[in-house]
Amino acid sequence: MKDTAEQVIDRSAKTVVSFFVASAGLWLLAAALLAYVAAAKLTDPFFLSSCEFLTYGKVKVAQANAFVYGWGGNSIFAATLWILARLSQVEVRGRVMLLFSGVLWNLAISFGLLGILDGHMNAHEMLEMPTVVWPVLFISYAIIAFLALVIHRSRKHNDTIAPQWFILASLIWFPALFLIAWNGLEINPARGTLPSVLSLWFGQSLIWLWLTPMALGAAYYIIPTILGRAIDKYYLAIFGFWCIAALAPWSVVHHLEGGPVPMWIPAIGTVMSIAMIFPIAVASTNFHATAFKDIDKVWNNLPLRFVIFGTISYTLSSYIGVIFSLPDVAKLTQFSIINEFHFNQRVYGFFSMIIFGVVYHMLPHITGKEISKGAKSFHFWTSAFGVLILLLAYLIGGLTHGVLAQQPSLDWSSSVISSVQPYFKITKYAFIILGFSQLVFVINVWKVIFPNPFACCLASSSERKGKTA
Amino acid sequence: MNNIFKFSFGILTTLAFAWLAFVVGANLQYGDLSPEAENLEDDDSREPDAELFPKDMPGLAKQGAEEYLALGCVSCHTQQVRLFTTKDSEGKSIVEGGMDVERGWGKRASMARDYVLQDHVMLGNTRIGPDLANFGMTEKDNDWLHRHLFEPQSLVPDSICPPSPFLYEVSDDPRDGSIAIPSHEDHGDERQKSRYVVPSIRANRIVAYLKALKQDYELPELPFVQAKEEKSDTNATETKGIPDWIRYPVPSSALEDLSSQMSAGKEVYTKIGPGGGGCVTCHQPTGLGLPIAFPPLAGSDWVKGDKERLIKISLFGLTGEIEVNGVKFNGAMPAPGIPLGSLTDQQIADVLTFVRNSWGNSASAVSPSEVSEVRASIKDRAPTQMWTAAELTSHSKPAQ
Ligand code: HEC
Ligand code: HEC
Repeated sequence: MKDTAEQVIDRSAKTVVSFFVASAGLWLLAAALLAYVAAAKLTDPFFLSSCEFLTYGKVKVAQANAFVYGWGGNSIFAATLWILARLSQVEVRGRVMLLFSGVLWNLAISFGLLGILDGHMNAHEMLEMPTVVWPVLFISYAIIAFLALVIHRSRKHNDTIAPQWFILASLIWFPALFLIAWNGLEINPARGTLPSVLSLWFGQSLIWLWLTPMALGAAYYIIPTILGRAIDKYYLAIFGFWCIAALAPWSVVHHLEGGPVPMWIPAIGTVMSIAMIFPIAVASTNFHATAFKDIDKVWNNLPLRFVIFGTISYTLSSYIGVIFSLPDVAKLTQFSIINEFHFNQRVYGFFSMIIFGVVYHMLPHITGKEISKGAKSFHFWTSAFGVLILLLAYLIGGLTHGVLAQQPSLDWSSSVISSVQPYFKITKYAFIILGFSQLVFVINVWKVIFPNPFACCLASSSERKGKTA
Repeated sequence: MNNIFKFSFGILTTLAFAWLAFVVGANLQYGDLSPEAENLEDDDSREPDAELFPKDMPGLAKQGAEEYLALGCVSCHTQQVRLFTTKDSEGKSIVEGGMDVERGWGKRASMARDYVLQDHVMLGNTRIGPDLANFGMTEKDNDWLHRHLFEPQSLVPDSICPPSPFLYEVSDDPRDGSIAIPSHEDHGDERQKSRYVVPSIRANRIVAYLKALKQDYELPELPFVQAKEEKSDTNATETKGIPDWIRYPVPSSALEDLSSQMSAGKEVYTKIGPGGGGCVTCHQPTGLGLPIAFPPLAGSDWVKGDKERLIKISLFGLTGEIEVNGVKFNGAMPAPGIPLGSLTDQQIADVLTFVRNSWGNSASAVSPSEVSEVRASIKDRAPTQMWTAAELTSHSKPAQ
């Protein structure tokens, strides 16, 4: 029996994608552990307080980096390579180079995180890993991105579709953002608050222009593929795409409202954030109009359920984000833990949920093994529940924090922060739930990637037993 | 869209516009800011020998910035006092203090110029802890800072600022250059006894850095916010910048009373001489007292507990052995006020409200009528007859 073209492609992608998914899983667990430690430190400052390398500030930063570069980076590589290969109908090539760069990427992040914990943090948002690891990260990224572009260039059909735009844009934007930030922060550093503007812009754009388009592209691919129907109002997608491209790089700076920078910077940010409702509406129409035509299938197909959870969360929370960028509201909540809400809803409620769906859809194709439905379902419910609790706690806690912080007569520690304390406690429990959920995910994934990890050890040990007996 | 080069060109162009604005444009606009005199002449020139601000930090403080950075303090502390503007009746925008200034985090908003000499600008974006842009302007001394850095909870009991014991050498006995850490009850046995710490060089750097954080000069672009205007209109400032639809549900009159009692109380606490209580001379600005001589007010059950007992102490003073926060003291506190025992009911109510709600204490306010009630109940006592702790405990009600 001859293999279909799809099977050939899947086989070509197997090693590389499995490697990236497996390492993404490990980073996810590392990030979960760090998230728990950080949350626990907020409820009990004496928790592990004598370890210098686990002091709150370091753990917090290491967690964000492990999450974005470790989990985000690896899973982006996996999904990019497989989806592009499938859409271009060509095999993944340069596998050794891909694996090599993948190992390099992961090593660099490991060193970077150890560097942070060891006290060599950089002051720039999402560029906190020590300076030395960045060239390595950049080179390994460039190799992977180049090989992904090669796949795309050798595609069978010349016409491109929405998932390709978003995924390619994410692929190209990251190095561009990085070079801009690197130039402005390390090569030609400016003085005063200019680097702060740039690093804030980079940190926020990373999420808007790297993680977000990737997840949107994946959703544009997965929804029609699984449902077997075209995206509803597909002609809007191109408008949505260019809106994001044009607006997102501007919108992120509204976080500087009232700060020591020229006033036009946050003002532009606010206007552009409000304009972001257009691309959000487009994506939401595309996804949900399509999905709700066949809601039964969405419900019964777990990968799709994950993806739709992600897209709904994208829509809702992006609208919430728009509200929080209005100057009057921003003044209130700007420095509150609402920032954690924005970060977590984006990288967890939206990006990660979609990636979970992609992985569950992709792995059976690649490895030929099914993941048990019960385990996936358990992962879905714990994740959905955990994320919901986490986000609600940060949202309500953030509002409380923001509003109370604006009352000059309330004592900081005993009135303001102690009113937020209960929400810190809730987030701690939410991170425990999420940690379990992620553990289930990683076990699910590792089980199909390495079906018999102990096969060789078992074999050898039984052999030995046989001998002694 | 089909040609990858045209496509890349398109998506990179959109990015390039943002880069042009935020990097190139912003750099052109204010990349060359430099220290300036506090006031300029009409023609924007400065006097020849005018002092320029901001000033460079001392070397130790600069090293402290690196330590502060490495420990990730910026994830909880911002260093920016925000600028708030409103429109006046003619529609011109005017600068107002805003809640950051009212919280005492600075005398004016932070300006870009304030940061031009800093190697690491750490504006931050989350305020789990207070803003530190002007921390050097507070009267907290080095010892306070070391105690706070070593273990914030020893000063502010419910603080979640992370302790950094790894920056100190700890011992049970005082040594050369060691700092006493007040004992406190929560969190295990170890913290119930007094400890003494010797700061490492890194701790000294951080403290130097925190002390160097101050924007205590005016800039041509922004003078200090006038405190007087704010005072006349407390109710409005209380909620300034907060949209009407979202307010903290505390009746504003109650807040106003509390905050005016707090500020009047602070005055009584710190004022030495006629009309003041002078508590500060013995109990210290930190409320921690001094080892052996003066007991702490921070965390003391005598302060947070039964009001009657507390009012009695403030009317006639206290002597003999007393146990405060688990440590025994034996001294004498004459009836506060000059002449002795001359504080009015209002003043006593204010200062007690203040000590009950400072340094991490949090207890109900004391009203003048409560003071006059107690005063009436013990009117036969001679003004020089101090209480003893035993006397007070025997007929006090259980702590509230
Ligand atoms: C978990 C968040 C958090 C981190 C991280 C943190 N702090 Fe704090 N900090 C707080 C809170 C909450 C307060 C208010 C309670 C208090 O005074 O202890 C505070 C208060 C302070 C104060 C007293 C401010 C005042 O106006 O009284 C100083 C000084 C301070 N922190 C310094 C630091 C330094 C130095 C670091 C880094 C080693 C640091 N903080 C890290 C949360 C944090
Ligand atoms: C001359 C120094 C001095 C001044 C001024 C002073 N105290 Fe005291 N205070 C003491 C001493 C000494 C004790 C302990 C008395 C003892 O050993 O019985 C004490 C004890 C106390 C106590 C009970 C113990 C504790 O720490 O909780 C309170 C409450 C108190 N003082 C409040 C005040 C207030 C309020 C003021 C200002 C109105 C004030 N003191 C001014 C020296 C002073």
